[in-house]
Amino acid sequence: MTVTFSPPPPPLPVRDRATAQDRTTGALSPMLRRLAEEEATGVLEREHGTLHLAGGRVVHAESPHAPGLGVLLTAHGTLATAAWQRAAEAGGPADAAHRLLEAGLLPEGALALCHLDALYDAGYFALSPSSTPGRFRYDSTPRRGPLPSVPVVQLERETLHRRLLLHRLWPDAAADSAALVRAVPAGTAPVTPRGRAVLDRVDGVRTAPEIARALGRQAFHTLVDVRRLTAAGLVRPVSVPYHPPYAPPAPPPPPLTVTDPDIALLKRLRDALEAL
Amino acid sequence: MPGIDECLLEAMRLPGARGAALVDWTSGLALGTVGEAPGDDHETTAAEAAELARLAAEHGAFAAGGSDHGGPPVEDLIVSNRDSYHLLRFVDTTFDSSVFLHLWLARAEGNLALARIRLGEMAARLVLG
Repeated sequence: MTVTFSPPPPPLPVRDRATAQDRTTGALSPMLRRLAEEEATGVLEREHGTLHLAGGRVVHAESPHAPGLGVLLTAHGTLATAAWQRAAEAGGPADAAHRLLEAGLLPEGALALCHLDALYDAGYFALSPSSTPGRFRYDSTPRRGPLPSVPVVQLERETLHRRLLLHRLWPDAAADSAALVRAVPAGTAPVTPRGRAVLDRVDGVRTAPEIARALGRQAFHTLVDVRRLTAAGLVRPVSVPYHPPYAPPAPPPPPLTVTDPDIALLKRLRDALEAL
Repeated sequence: MPGIDECLLEAMRLPGARGAALVDWTSGLALGTVGEAPGDDHETTAAEAAELARLAAEHGAFAAGGSDHGGPPVEDLIVSNRDSYHLLRFVDTTFDSSVFLHLWLARAEGNLALARIRLGEMAARLVLG
């Protein structure tokens, strides 16, 4: 009698729903997730900011809404403006931190801390919802040096956490980007010293990111203060009418004449109509 | 000149050290972690420790007077548990930030007075080199 042992058949492939969900949970940009998985090196340009990737990790982030490393370091005299300009001119702002470290102008701990602060701050805006698709340029320039870099998933998690934090403070995002004006609060609300500095710069013209720049503070930290001041009734965005007593009805808007249609807007309209 | 990780590893060399982290108290983000955390969860620990630090940094009873450069006048916070200590040391940076070092210390082996002095020195060295 011969007994033959045959190896058991391989198990049928089963779609692991938990894993599939994990892969996309919290993905703010599917493109970014893909780039992280392929450990790409290059620059991702999105509507509100730019992420520099090296081997799939974020090594630098920039946004017009966030002050950036240069402002954070020079605003309070940590670094002389001329020294920053030399570092930024030599290899662009993305590499300035490494140049400063090599030059030994700042202690590594202080630089690493400020670099991470600036990265998460600009990353928050770079990953904010956008109306246009992002573009990735493969480029060998971004490099991983001795300064800390951040995994894409970690930046996405933190960005979602920050959105939730702001939403809990005050659920309306209008004050994040509009010019701010002081309001008369119904009651008296205590203002923290950091909040007071922000309130002192509310002048009906400046926006929260501009106040952050003026104070040499992270934009997200300033948004936290602005949302808290808004919740306390001390500040409001100017676009929101204060006491509209007897506002006459607005005239009907003129017929839309579009000569240069925004493709992204049209796509969103199409998607919305298809979803009906 | 130590980086963030070197600073945290130095804190871990203190007798009784169980875990250490550098945390932003505005966002609750851990910028660096080493060792253990209560419940094995550095992220939640950082967020909860940040709440405590923020209260001390902002409330008038503890933060009255302020300091010249905008940082909180509070130097450190100590939470004594039955079996451990939590030591939170504010890091005074020359640029605007809101970070503290968090050291979790076993009570049986730890020396709170020593840890408090050392953590203050480490916080200074982290930003001053």
